Amino acid sequence: MKFQLKNIIAVMAMALLFSSCSKDEDQEITGTGNLKVEYDNVYGDANLVFNTSYTNSNGELVKPNKLKYIVSNIVLTKEDGSTYTVPKSSSYFIVDEATIASTIINIPNVPAANYNKISFGIGVDKAQFDLGATGQGDFLATAQTAGMMWSWSAGYKFVAFEGTFTSSTFPTETMYKVHTGQTGTDYNYTTVTLDFPDLAKVRTTITPQVHIMADVKHLIDGTNKLSLTEQATVMGGAKLALVTANISNMFEVEHVHND
Amino acid sequence: MLFPLFWNCASDDSEAYQNIPIVFKTPSNFPVANYDFANNPLTEKGFELGKKLFYDGRLSSDGLISCGFCHIQEDAFTHHGHSFSHGVGESIGTRNAPPIQNMVFQTAFMWDGATTHLDLQPIIPFTSEIEMNGNFSSAINMMKNDPVYVTLFSQAFPGGEINSENMLKALAQFQIMLVSSNSRFDKYRRNELGGTLTSEELEGYALFNQKCASCHATDIFTDNSFRNNGLPVNPLINDVGYFRVTELEQDKYKFKVPSLRNIEKTAPYMHDGRFYTLEAVLNHYTSGVSNTQNLDPSLNTNGVLGIPLTTTEKTKIISFLKTLTDNDFLTNPRFSEY
Repeated sequence: MKFQLKNIIAVMAMALLFSSCSKDEDQEITGTGNLKVEYDNVYGDANLVFNTSYTNSNGELVKPNKLKYIVSNIVLTKEDGSTYTVPKSSSYFIVDEATIASTIINIPNVPAANYNKISFGIGVDKAQFDLGATGQGDFLATAQTAGMMWSWSAGYKFVAFEGTFTSSTFPTETMYKVHTGQTGTDYNYTTVTLDFPDLAKVRTTITPQVHIMADVKHLIDGTNKLSLTEQATVMGGAKLALVTANISNMFEVEHVHND
Repeated sequence: MLFPLFWNCASDDSEAYQNIPIVFKTPSNFPVANYDFANNPLTEKGFELGKKLFYDGRLSSDGLISCGFCHIQEDAFTHHGHSFSHGVGESIGTRNAPPIQNMVFQTAFMWDGATTHLDLQPIIPFTSEIEMNGNFSSAINMMKNDPVYVTLFSQAFPGGEINSENMLKALAQFQIMLVSSNSRFDKYRRNELGGTLTSEELEGYALFNQKCASCHATDIFTDNSFRNNGLPVNPLINDVGYFRVTELEQDKYKFKVPSLRNIEKTAPYMHDGRFYTLEAVLNHYTSGVSNTQNLDPSLNTNGVLGIPLTTTEKTKIISFLKTLTDNDFLTNPRFSEY
């Protein structure tokens, strides 16, 4: 908010100087610009900080030390309902809480327009996976380096959420691991669609930043509640579907910057 | 004379893409190929690159274990005599190295069907900590610093990028070309010269069709299904097979029905290499079948387990199975390391 006064002065100055151009907004918006999507990982009502304890609704104390997920197939929706789909060859990203740079995804070559919605997937979609090597580029190498390859089945981990927990049954810190991905007969790819509270105005000179809150608590303590005491490793089986369903509700757009 | 010399030189060493297509021909007695060739068109240079990768131990973490280390051509690309193979650091696996042949006619790979796309299959042994323990980034870095690879990648793929996609595509091209279809049996089936089977072999074939072909179907000799063939479960390993992939109780202890091509050369047999001879395999089917969870219904006839076979019938079936040996394939220099 520290920019506000400066901005107001600037806008007023502009208005005075270019009052003859006040119909600028009505002119056709052309060209392309960038848009940034920030994945800000939080745990409930607190920022996510590794090795910090958070309390779940079942009383378990959870202390995360790893959070990574694959974001893919970003689609932006304009005010008029038309969409811009990020080219598939450059629409796979790994968000890693341990690497700040990875939490802000820059999308280049976005047609200048006002956008009000974003959709993306968590994981690698089945259509791409079924193509085999085709279209993967170097993403397999990237995923392996990040520990996001589910190498026993030549697939991907979509989400890797790990740490330790304590509960009345486990008073000493016990490891937990929650991994999602294709298992059994379920593919487990999740598509998330989010409305923007404000328009993202992509211009040749404006790079909006869409600030997404990713509430990691939802993974295990969301609509479906998982007891780590009961099962500390979820990498398949019935509980994996519960985690996957929780992913749908873990994201929200907090705000959009247009500067 | 100068002009052709110059031209030859350019075509061999240039880093330009060389689109010399390989036309893949499905043998007339085979089922249809299960691969989208449009996504990975076969070329001579793609195949050559795939072969180099297949035999390159530098892809593994200790620089020694190549694909070809456990998949030896003269044994139909199996690890002869090894129930289990040893990978990097003398690690030992828990499953027998399967043959690599006629891969493009199969719909799932590995004993448990862990992957269904041929392109992706090499990821499993390449990254397994007890097999090659390989790392894509390291391998790509190694190849980018090797002029032979730099040239081959440029010749094999438009753009010539050295990345995991092209690496896997080249390996797929090599594996696709590993087709065994010139055994005496094939020639018999296609009425070709040399396709004569003895009366014992023909009787064996008739018995085989009657007793074995419901699972070992088509001229590929697998119906690509997963079944529990009644091997007593080894409690030290308790390999649950296909269950690992599907997590369905009904798939526990099922394994992929293997092809029987070149079976004479691929001992030991079964997913864990427990039988050293074909006689031992047939003895299992007559008298060793155990009624474990999900035993295949075809091996349980009103409580009588297994497949009834006399000693003579076993001998005939084995005579027939040996007609599946394809020496062209086992010795083809196009597939060999050196």
